[in-house]
Amino acid sequence: MSIFTEKVGMTRRQFLKGSGMLAVAVIVSGVFAKIGFDAFAASDEYIAQRAAGLYTLDEKMALRKSHENPEIIQIYQEFLSPGEQKYLSEKAHHLLHTKYGKDIPSFIEELKGHSGEAA
Amino acid sequence: MSEEIIRGKVLKHDTQTRTMHWIHLLAFIILGLTGIGFYWDIAGIANIFGGPANASLVHRWTGVVFIVGPTLYILLNFDRFSRFIDTISSFSKDDFAWLKTMGGYVPFIKVEEAPPQEKYNAGQKILGGLIIIGCLLIILTGFPMWLWKDVVSSAFLALCYNVHFWTAIIMILLVAGHFFLAAIHPKSRVEFASMMLDGYIDAEITAHHNAKWFAELQKTE
Repeated sequence: MSIFTEKVGMTRRQFLKGSGMLAVAVIVSGVFAKIGFDAFAASDEYIAQRAAGLYTLDEKMALRKSHENPEIIQIYQEFLSPGEQKYLSEKAHHLLHTKYGKDIPSFIEELKGHSGEAA
Repeated sequence: MSEEIIRGKVLKHDTQTRTMHWIHLLAFIILGLTGIGFYWDIAGIANIFGGPANASLVHRWTGVVFIVGPTLYILLNFDRFSRFIDTISSFSKDDFAWLKTMGGYVPFIKVEEAPPQEKYNAGQKILGGLIIIGCLLIILTGFPMWLWKDVVSSAFLALCYNVHFWTAIIMILLVAGHFFLAAIHPKSRVEFASMMLDGYIDAEITAHHNAKWFAELQKTE
């Protein structure tokens, strides 16, 4: 029985067409990849500038730590922990702790109950 | 066409080509299945792959296989790739004549004898070109959706999603048509074994379906 097989190798025309197809695919992919890497670089640059801006703003502030803020110290000494600066006092925890979900309705009721009191 | 019976076999698709075709087919099926699951939010498909997160992981890494398979084939078999590209990009009068009658595959177009074809007929040439363009589009739009989603504009990302989806739909339809003609249609289903199994096809069939190519093969004998 005869077995017919293709001749191996390629002609110049076949080589040029194969190379051309490969080159087009590589160039199109390369251009696309360049767009992506440029977008990455632009994003990194933006993040770096934004971070630098925030640090610069922070450095210019007269007060940079909340526990050194005279108003906060006064609130603790006169109201949240009278006579001292106890940051985790029961009242501070109770009033400053975030409430969410099913705790909110009862918290609103509690605040309503205190609404007549002087701050 | 001569009435003489031509005995023998033709090695139409060698081992490397068949291996690449299998890898690309399996990757395509997994990609298509997971992609359909994502787009229409079909939990049953995602669950096959271990849930939506795992299905997404499988989709992305199968996409890498989808690229690496043919790339390795092209680099290791550049002569075969070049011959393939040359064949599918060369259209003669016979190809246009074949397209006019659709090679006799369409029931309501009666054809006495389809024009002689090369290794691939005009329909297969167009399919080959569309598959290459489709693969490039799917690959080029897939990576931004995976790796660049946080750094490119939402409009560009939306374009990628749309192009990726519609290209995939067209590719699935093309592959379904390819499967029907290569594995089910009575005139051409003998092609199935040559690509999916041993690579061989009867010389008599090749002499009839790919007369120009067979004439070239006979010259090299």
